[in-house]
Amino acid sequence: MAGSGRDERAWVRRAQAGSVSDFEALFRAHWGPAYRAAYLVVRDAAAAEDIAQEGFVAAVRALDRFDRRRPFGPWLHRIVVNRAIDWARARALRPEAEQVDAPAPERPERDDGLLRELGGLTPEHRAVIVLRYVLDYTPGEIAELLELPRGTINSRLRRGLDSLKERL
Amino acid sequence: MRFEAPHERESEARAWAVVRVAYDEREPVAWPRRHARPLLAGAVVAAVVAAALSPPGRSVVRSLRESVGIEHAEPALFSLPTPGQLLVTSHSGAWLVRRDGSKRLLGHYRDASFSPHGLFVVATRANQLVALDPEGRVRWSIARPAPRSPVWTGTRSDTRITYLSAGRLRVVAGDGTGDHAVSNERRTGARRAARIIVRNGQSQVVLGGRTVFRGTGVFDQVVRSPNGRWLLVGWPTANQWVFVRLRPRKIVGVARITQQFGRDPHVAGWCCA
Repeated sequence: MAGSGRDERAWVRRAQAGSVSDFEALFRAHWGPAYRAAYLVVRDAAAAEDIAQEGFVAAVRALDRFDRRRPFGPWLHRIVVNRAIDWARARALRPEAEQVDAPAPERPERDDGLLRELGGLTPEHRAVIVLRYVLDYTPGEIAELLELPRGTINSRLRRGLDSLKERL
Repeated sequence: MRFEAPHERESEARAWAVVRVAYDEREPVAWPRRHARPLLAGAVVAAVVAAALSPPGRSVVRSLRESVGIEHAEPALFSLPTPGQLLVTSHSGAWLVRRDGSKRLLGHYRDASFSPHGLFVVATRANQLVALDPEGRVRWSIARPAPRSPVWTGTRSDTRITYLSAGRLRVVAGDGTGDHAVSNERRTGARRAARIIVRNGQSQVVLGGRTVFRGTGVFDQVVRSPNGRWLLVGWPTANQWVFVRLRPRKIVGVARITQQFGRDPHVAGWCCA
C-alpha cells in the first residue's frame, strides 16, 4: 500500500538526500500498482516487469528534479502507463516479437474472464480502464496523466466498458 | 477491482535489485535544483527554443554561442577532432561514425555499446542481443525478452557483456556463449569523470571542479574521447554537439545533429584510437 501523503513526501525528501531505506519504502509502496497497471495493459508478465522497472529507473534519474509538493504515484504511473501503451502498440505492429524465447510461466497465470476480455481491448482503452478501476484515478486525473482531453477519457471509458459488457 | 498480477512478488524482488543499483549510481545534482522552480526552468528552456525560431532570436542565441566560444558551428559532422570512432543511437537506429566523418547505419537497434577495443558492437532490438562487426554484419545473436543497456567490458582475450532482460541482470561471454543471470551485480561500465550541472536555464560541464564549458538550455550528456583530451557535449537545446578540447582550449560545434542521426541522438561510445 502507498503511504500517506505525508509519509510519501518524507520518503521522497530523504531519498533525494540519499537515504536508501526511504527510497526502498517508496519503491515497495509503488511497485505493486505500477506492475499491475503495466501487466493489465501489455498482458505479458516479463514485459510488465521491464516496463515498471524502467519506470522506476527513469524516476531515479529524475528524482532530484521531482517537485515534492506533488504526489509520486501519478508521476510514476504516467511514465509506466505511457510506456505500456507504446509497448502494446509496438507489439501489435510486430506480432512475431512476442513469441521469441518467452520464458515459460512458473505457474499458470490467472485466467479470470474479465481480465481475459480486457486483453481484447485496444491498449488505449485498456489503459484508461486500468487507471480508473484498478488504480482508482478519476477521469480528470487520467486526462492529466495521459495528457488527453477529459472528453476523450470519458468516451474511452464508456466504449471500453461497453465492449467488455458485450464480451462478458 | 482487487487484483494481483502474475509473478508480482518475484518481480518486485528482481526489480528492486536493479533499481537499487540505479539509485546507488545516480549522480545527485550539485546544487539544490529540487528547490528551484521547475516551471521556471521549463519556461526558460521554452523561451530559448522559441527564441531560436525567430530571426531576432537566432541572433540572440548566436550571441550566446559566441560568448562561450562557438563562433561557427559546422553544419555537419565532417570529421571527428581526434582519432577514434563514435557509436550513436537514435530513433533511426545505431550509427557508427569514423574519424573522417563517414557514418554507417548498423541497423535498427535500440541500445549499443562498443567492445573494449572497438572491434565489435553489441546492440539490442526487440527480443535480441546482437553482436555486430563494424560493417553491421551480425556475428552472433541471442534471443532474450526485451534486452537493453548492454555494456561490453574486459580485455582483448576475455570479454563479457552485461545487459538487462526481463528484469534481470545477465552476463554473456563476448563470443555469445555462457549466457546466464546474475544477482545484484554491480556493472563495471566506466564512470563519467565530467558532470553536467543545469541551473536557471543554463548548463555547464564541470571536470575536476572546474567549469570547462557552459551554454544556454540543456546539455544531455558528456563523453570523453579515447585519448582523454576532448569532451563531446550533447546540447539538444541548440541541436548541436560541441567538441571541447581541454588544453590548449578549443571548441568545435557541430549543428543539425537530429537531421544527421534522427530523433533523440545519444552517443553510446567514443572508442579506440
